Amino acid sequence: MLTKLFATIVVAIAAITLTAGFTQQAALVLRQENQNHWARHGTQTSGTYRSGVWVDSPTRNSYENFRGGGPGVGK
Amino acid sequence: MHAHPKTQRTGHFIDIFLYIPWVVTGVMFLALILSGVVERTLVSTSLFVDPKVPAQLNPIQLKKEPIGALRIDVNAGLPSNQWVTYEIQVKDQQGKVIASGLKQAWAESGSWAEEGESGSWAEDDLMAGLDIRASQSEPITIAINVLDYTDTAGNELNQPIRFGITVKNGVVDDRFLWAGLFGTAFIAVLTLFSVASTGKVVINKSNRDSDVVARTVTGGAEQLVRVLVKVQSDEHSPSTFNIRLTVHDANGEQSYSKVHSVNVNHSKDDGVVKSGRSSLTTFFVLEPRTSYGFHVEVTPDVSVDRTRIIVRENARTLFPVDVITLKST
Repeated sequence: MLTKLFATIVVAIAAITLTAGFTQQAALVLRQENQNHWARHGTQTSGTYRSGVWVDSPTRNSYENFRGGGPGVGK
Repeated sequence: MHAHPKTQRTGHFIDIFLYIPWVVTGVMFLALILSGVVERTLVSTSLFVDPKVPAQLNPIQLKKEPIGALRIDVNAGLPSNQWVTYEIQVKDQQGKVIASGLKQAWAESGSWAEEGESGSWAEDDLMAGLDIRASQSEPITIAINVLDYTDTAGNELNQPIRFGITVKNGVVDDRFLWAGLFGTAFIAVLTLFSVASTGKVVINKSNRDSDVVARTVTGGAEQLVRVLVKVQSDEHSPSTFNIRLTVHDANGEQSYSKVHSVNVNHSKDDGVVKSGRSSLTTFFVLEPRTSYGFHVEVTPDVSVDRTRIIVRENARTLFPVDVITLKST
């Protein structure tokens, strides 16, 4: 029974991850309001779609406060 | 009447479901290797960008495709101790921004001195990436916009930054594939550990002694019975034990009896033996299904602390195993 359960789980994991990876479910879809975007290299989208038009997000200008990274931060 | 016990190596009780996780893990591994086959590099170039002045690449044709996405990877060529906030912009034919991703990149270095030791460190986070999928085919232009560029003291800098840009089409998101590979491999390993516990436990009895006796109804045609004997012993454990396993039928008549020699796993502390563990696994097909008695006797018995017998019926195996068939008529 347990082995059948394990077999079912692995097949499900493989089906989901292969589909998501090959059809790029985490990519930004142009001109689509509902996004499943998953940022790469910490690159957040700086806008959203409103009626198919890209609108800058209100937080876009908060970069002014960026203070870099590294071990010196927080000291 | 008893037929003579017959021992035969058989793969009859192999559970093919145990192999599925391994096959699927192999498929995930292949998918990871092959995921790069469909991708094509469209642009690989570098671009100097002045702060507040967006610079762009030549337009490229974005096609709606079933597999993969358009991947834009950007690497900011930042000297040490500088920060930059930049944006990857995707523009349509009219030059309107239709998507953008913001990256706060930095490169810092310095020296440290602590308890008489010293050295230098350098860290950075310069890469940005945006994967985009088209809802329609159209020409797009990729631009880089430097929004804010300062040194670590917060002073504005006004000089061009060199960005390395790579644009690829048909790129598969391997983060999902890695997650899938780890997930399936984890379960594949779990199945290995679960083999020994397949089936239903019909006897689980232990005795603080060197012998244990138990009786239960088990067996039947096409029923693999797994008998596991575990022995715990003290600091005087020998290197091998002789385990006599005897099976009695419903009438109490002995139908199988054999001495198995097993090695003892010593657990040591500073090279001195503290305790020992040993185990014996045997497989039976017992016909007909009726009451069977199991008797385990461990010799030499001086060091034996505890003897346990676990009998599972309807067991499965991963490989062909030696099965002892006991038939009485």
